[in-house]
Amino acid sequence: MTELRRCSRCMIPETHETIMFDEQGVCNICRQQEFKREAIDWNARERQLRTLIDSYRGRYSHDCIVPFSGGKDSTFTLYHLIKEYKVKPLVVQFDHGFLRPQTLENNVRTLKQLGVDFLSFRPNWNVVKKLMLESLRRKGDFCWHCHTGIFAYPMQIAVKQNIPLLIWGEPSAEYTSYYGYDEQEEVDERRFNRFVNLGISADDMQGMIEGIEPRDLDPFRYPPVKDLRRVGVRSICLGSYLPWDVKSQVALIERELGWTGDDVEGVPRDYRYEKIECFMQGVRDYIKFLKRGYGRTAHLTSIDIRNGRLDRERALRLVDEHDGRRPPSLDLFLKYVGLTEDEFLEIAREHVVSPWSASAEPKGAGQPLHDMPQWDPTVSFVSIESLRAAATSR
Amino acid sequence: MIAIVDYGASNLHSVRHALETVGAEVMLARTPEDILAAERIVLPGVGAFAQCVTSLRASGLMQALHEAVFDRGRPLLGICLGLQVMARDSEEGGLHAGFGWIPGSVRLISSALAGMKGPHVGWNEVLLSRSSELFKGLRADPTFYFVHSYHFVPDAAEILAATTEYGGPITAAIQRDNLFATQFHPEKSQQNGLRLLENFLAWKP
Amino acid sequence: MLKIRIIPKLLLQRSRNVKGVRFEQMRDTGHPVTNARIYDAQGADELIFLDIDASVEGRSTLCDIVSKAASEVFMPFCVGGGVRTVDDFHRLLQAGADKVAVNSAAIEYPSLLSEAAKLFGVQCVVASVDFRWEEGGPRVYTHGGQVATGISVLDHVRRCVEAGAGEILLTSIDRDGTMTGYDVDVTRRVSSAVSVPVIASGGAGTLQHMVDVVREASASAVAVGSLFHFTDQSPIKARAFMRVAGIDVRREAA
Repeated sequence: MTELRRCSRCMIPETHETIMFDEQGVCNICRQQEFKREAIDWNARERQLRTLIDSYRGRYSHDCIVPFSGGKDSTFTLYHLIKEYKVKPLVVQFDHGFLRPQTLENNVRTLKQLGVDFLSFRPNWNVVKKLMLESLRRKGDFCWHCHTGIFAYPMQIAVKQNIPLLIWGEPSAEYTSYYGYDEQEEVDERRFNRFVNLGISADDMQGMIEGIEPRDLDPFRYPPVKDLRRVGVRSICLGSYLPWDVKSQVALIERELGWTGDDVEGVPRDYRYEKIECFMQGVRDYIKFLKRGYGRTAHLTSIDIRNGRLDRERALRLVDEHDGRRPPSLDLFLKYVGLTEDEFLEIAREHVVSPWSASAEPKGAGQPLHDMPQWDPTVSFVSIESLRAAATSR
Repeated sequence: MIAIVDYGASNLHSVRHALETVGAEVMLARTPEDILAAERIVLPGVGAFAQCVTSLRASGLMQALHEAVFDRGRPLLGICLGLQVMARDSEEGGLHAGFGWIPGSVRLISSALAGMKGPHVGWNEVLLSRSSELFKGLRADPTFYFVHSYHFVPDAAEILAATTEYGGPITAAIQRDNLFATQFHPEKSQQNGLRLLENFLAWKP
Repeated sequence: MLKIRIIPKLLLQRSRNVKGVRFEQMRDTGHPVTNARIYDAQGADELIFLDIDASVEGRSTLCDIVSKAASEVFMPFCVGGGVRTVDDFHRLLQAGADKVAVNSAAIEYPSLLSEAAKLFGVQCVVASVDFRWEEGGPRVYTHGGQVATGISVLDHVRRCVEAGAGEILLTSIDRDGTMTGYDVDVTRRVSSAVSVPVIASGGAGTLQHMVDVVREASASAVAVGSLFHFTDQSPIKARAFMRVAGIDVRREAA
């Protein structure tokens, strides 16, 4: 098996996007964390945010839009903005179609407790299936509809409802170096194009798949610059104004909102807060492993190492144990997109990032999640019949 | 209102769009009157030196620029050939006289002598010769896009605002009073370029 | 120091971007203007637009596309496809091209390069050279790889530079779209035969390929198609990789 070079401090290997190692072998993400801890005047940032929010307060139907999945980051962001800044937000959710039961339950509770207006949008499933397959084939990443929808749809609402301020949660400097903590990360079209949309816009996608109209892709389309400018949109990350700390934030929302974590495929049970909102997460992380030789456990343990909560030795053991196991949710995914497992693996092979190699030995299957029976298996009207037929014949 | 001198330079539209993107209200100046009516002026330029000087002279635009810059103190940004034409002379295609506004000559880059590829095409780091309002908000050694075979060689270094290295020092920008000019193309230098143009719009020399 | 450039290469056909294998089996790769916006955000150093229709109608569409891209994206463009006259040069430069690539016409109309160089400067004249290996060595092909000229690549690039080309865009048809690596050997020979920068093109399949052709063949720039279109690599990821490998690339993201 290929031995990947990893950061001398954390678990991130050389196949991670935008990774760079310095003379000490320390990666740029670890270095950014030092910058975050040492060089930023967080009190000044806090004052900046207060001034910014105050300048929008009371002037529109809502003071700001908070894009919301119901995961740990957006729940904390919403809680913090209401508690500390007393905003009246419009909470906007782009529902990718794979929200898990515990998350749905959390959402209802959170939104009631905080007393907010809530808007949720779920795009056409028949379009989504096509998009998943096409983006998997092209980029080895089936989540295009989710990446683009999550970041484009709230912007569309900002334009339609004339609410210029959007506040997102975690800055990308926490896990990549597309932006550093030394620059203010504006969640704008440049950022969208830089790494969110996999290099494919809705206009690009239009010519890549058959049988869809341009308007079918509207939920995934970034609003035109002139519209954003007319409304005067500002779109920022809360994490640019307070030092992001996942674990303490999770503890806070558990305590204050009764937010409840869940098991996730491919990660140790200690991380019951991470990406609990999507039941295709296990497949996503599995593809990442097939392509890049690491998964979510490497990412999570790295954050713990950077925050002084875990030693490298133990992290390595966890990574070895959890990353790269075949998730039971893969069966459902393959049904959705109509691929066989061999076809799926072949696509993953085409996207392997060197020096990782596709010849890695399989690591065995992961454990099925407790809520799997509740996940909706609908492929389409026609396929559901064929699924039933398949079930009886078996 | 900002005027871009329109004498057929091919980067005119890129310059206009870039300026509009950073919020400028742009007018294309085709007559001396247009130039004199503007609060600030941009002189773009790509192509052959002699032809450019001849055309600006014959149309009276050069004289209007002179009045706007030296008598009325209007800020002027020259870009690429728009920098070079201000020189005393150029050796491009035989020796030709320039505007003679800045002391120095335009010469062929001697990259070949240093074993480098010529022309000088691509992104290069710019070293600031002094602190300048025009480079505000950029890192200490920002990169800009260059595409040229000839460069301005000043008689004395004090007019330099920034230099770059290509088989020897190359003038990247000059600045004197209300006159600023770049050899690189801010309208093609992505975020750095837009920032510089934004700085030019706010510049109060 | 002058930076090594990472250049996405966009092939235009009927107003869409396409990419194939060895100039055939074209597959849609998106809308040219949104592609340009994306590559701009991803910190590409320059873009190459080549119109592979290269018809008369194609040329005016090309101008429109370049002009639209140039009004939204502020980065250098090298544009080509069916360029036959200095008028074509003029129109493309006016539309926002910074450099114009000449392919078939460099052989059909030998004076074009020198006339264009005189009018617009050598820095905006790019000789685009497509080649295949034949017995006896690499040979120039024109008309989108359809016409074998029998001319040696080295003779041809030397003539182009003498005539006034300020840069060579060197594309291996054999490697194009195969993602098996650049033709390092021919790129090295061309690069040492001429005094102007050489853009290596055709074959990039991994980020390491980009490093190899810079290091082993002294390419001044690397053109990339399939690797950016059909994998999740991007200029910004390539840049990080090349920097780690010790290549002098731009530091700013965009």
